[in-house]
Amino acid sequence: MSEGVKVKTGASGKYLQFGDHIDTLETVDTVFHEQRKLSFTYGAVFFGVTLAIPALSVWVPAWYATPIWGGFTANYFVVSLAYFVFLWAMAWTYSKQADKLDERLMHIAEEIEQKIMAEEGGAS
Amino acid sequence: MNTIAIVLVVALVLFTIALSIFSRRFTRTTADFYLAGRKVGSFSNASAISGDYLSAASFLGVAAAVYASGLDGVWYAAGFAGGFMVVVLFIASALRRFGEYTVADFAFGRFGSSRIRLVTVVATLLVSLFYMAPQMYGAGTTWKILVGTGFFPAGADGLFLGVDPIYLSGVTVVTLIMMFYVAMGGMKGTTLNQIFQFWWLWFAMFMVVVFAFGNGFDYAAELKQVSQDKLVATKTMTVGELTTVDATSGKAPIDNARATMSPEAFAKVEEAVAAGDQAAKVDVLLAQKNKLHEMRDMLFNEPGHRYNAFDQFSMVLALVLGTAGLPHILNRYYTNPSGAAARRSTFWVLIFIGTFYILSPIAGLAGRTRVFDAYMNGTAPSNAAIVDGFLVKSDAIMPTLAQILGGQWLMGIVAAGAFAAMFSTVGGLLIAAASAVGHDVYEKYINPDASEKQRVAVGKVSVVFFAILGWVLGWAIPFFGLQNAYPALIAMMVTWAFAVGASAFVPMLLTGIWWKGTTERGAIAGMVVGLIASIGIIFMNILQQLRIPAFAADQGTIGFLASLTFPVLFTFPLALGTIVLVSKLDGKVPENIDEIWMRIHGTASERHERDLGLDKVGTLFGGAKK
Repeated sequence: MSEGVKVKTGASGKYLQFGDHIDTLETVDTVFHEQRKLSFTYGAVFFGVTLAIPALSVWVPAWYATPIWGGFTANYFVVSLAYFVFLWAMAWTYSKQADKLDERLMHIAEEIEQKIMAEEGGAS
Repeated sequence: MNTIAIVLVVALVLFTIALSIFSRRFTRTTADFYLAGRKVGSFSNASAISGDYLSAASFLGVAAAVYASGLDGVWYAAGFAGGFMVVVLFIASALRRFGEYTVADFAFGRFGSSRIRLVTVVATLLVSLFYMAPQMYGAGTTWKILVGTGFFPAGADGLFLGVDPIYLSGVTVVTLIMMFYVAMGGMKGTTLNQIFQFWWLWFAMFMVVVFAFGNGFDYAAELKQVSQDKLVATKTMTVGELTTVDATSGKAPIDNARATMSPEAFAKVEEAVAAGDQAAKVDVLLAQKNKLHEMRDMLFNEPGHRYNAFDQFSMVLALVLGTAGLPHILNRYYTNPSGAAARRSTFWVLIFIGTFYILSPIAGLAGRTRVFDAYMNGTAPSNAAIVDGFLVKSDAIMPTLAQILGGQWLMGIVAAGAFAAMFSTVGGLLIAAASAVGHDVYEKYINPDASEKQRVAVGKVSVVFFAILGWVLGWAIPFFGLQNAYPALIAMMVTWAFAVGASAFVPMLLTGIWWKGTTERGAIAGMVVGLIASIGIIFMNILQQLRIPAFAADQGTIGFLASLTFPVLFTFPLALGTIVLVSKLDGKVPENIDEIWMRIHGTASERHERDLGLDKVGTLFGGAKK
């Protein structure tokens, strides 16, 4: 267990405390479900596109055998250039969305935290 | 001997050592030694991760694969880069939020048993050694090309300890340098060196491409030019192999060579055949078959030179899943100051290595035309073995192209880049292996009360031990003749490390982070199954390539399994399925699973760190910036 972390049990159930901040199962479940939705949605797009490339290479002659620009076939163009742009765009938008999600969830967590702190204060 | 190249390599080594000595004063605690004090910012960490990741296989191997195979070679570049998406989407921020030092710490913290920590340590060491072996082999072969001389005495058979003494000198020099600079500088020194080494090898690749465009390179036009005729490749064969008639086609490889090679070049082949020595080796140029679309000619800009339909998918999965299973890369995520910083680091990594991997195929294609033209003009480098305008060893394309385009200076920059790639990767591997032994075993089980000084000392001893083990691997590869079984051994061995990592670690990490129902027994079972299955198939493949009778057959279950170049398509789902099945049957999740879940997905720790300003990027040599 990391330094400075305390496991406590209060009126609202078990929670972890880091300094003045706490995580409850409720806040964590909110974070987890939102994060899972975001990661797995992006993951599905990533694997869909990544595995579509070899699939097209196996089954679609227009993809792998028809030049579109000089010697570039669509297949060569995507694997050597466009795929990297796809990765950058995905990583950028994902990071931004994950940061926003973090911020939103931190606010939600802080609200729940204040509520629990108030309850704990009232209880003592 | 290339004097300018040697001067640049020596300068690189001296600078590396100076950085290690400089950073030594800042390595006092265990966190400093293994994690650079968790003060590495996104840009610096991304540079260091990129340096860690781009090994000799990337610097020399990707351009070589494109040069030899065209589009199927380009997939190495795309797949190596794509692997980081899996890291950023599923693993990076959770791993950092959980804290600790190593992947084994995560396994212990998540599943709560010493047993799983030790299994993870064993897997870490195996993956690290799989990855270190090709780096050491690359060190020896690059030394031989670049320096061409050694310090071990050759015996009557021209060998020392059963291998080429010049090759072994290169392995020894790199081992000693790595041993010194990692033990001296720890993670801070290694991080600083990796940042510098990454930018050096990026610059080297960039310069080769700039010189190519300066030389009139036109990407689309030259791709069209090399794709007009059937793809040809060189091969070294014995006279016996060359003249053996295939029962199905009724033709021998020499018929292919006759139709493909120029009359002048083929005359030398005929001379060798006429001499009658069946064991004599000759270099020939052969038209290549399309393994994917057998009825089509094999062209440079089409898929099918290396991979059939099965391998097209399996190779992509091996590359994109394997990155998330490399412990030396995952350990780097603990050096980020926060989960968000871990994501930002990965984004920058994708930018850095993405640009590098866009440049590599350009170098490979430019090599295809420039080496041929130089050969026809009589200006090809005399130290490059060429048959009819094509390099006998495609791994030599980077230094050869550099020499053609920019003379001794560009060749020197590329040679230093090759050593920088090896140093940075081996540095990361030594830190990962040392932390597995020093931190995960010594600090946790052997001497939990050890002082900081003792812990750092054990880390340094571990570095020395694994550097020596790396040397043994470097010696063993040619001793057992592995390089004869695999023409492109460096790239192949790196892919093996990816396969083992993807099978052993990734299923455990994914389920550990995203499925609360994963149990300790399930995770151990999945790791062991993934580890044994992937290593087993790899060794079966090696034995098949070495023509060991029990594995030589291409048919039957053993023959089929042994023929799998990339086992991940089988071993990843096997390990994942094992974890799910055993966890369901077991049902004993850790008693404190709610606390563990709060640590992995909770935000209190980051909010606390934000209050204290600990989420700010600090410097490697002090606290957070004010």
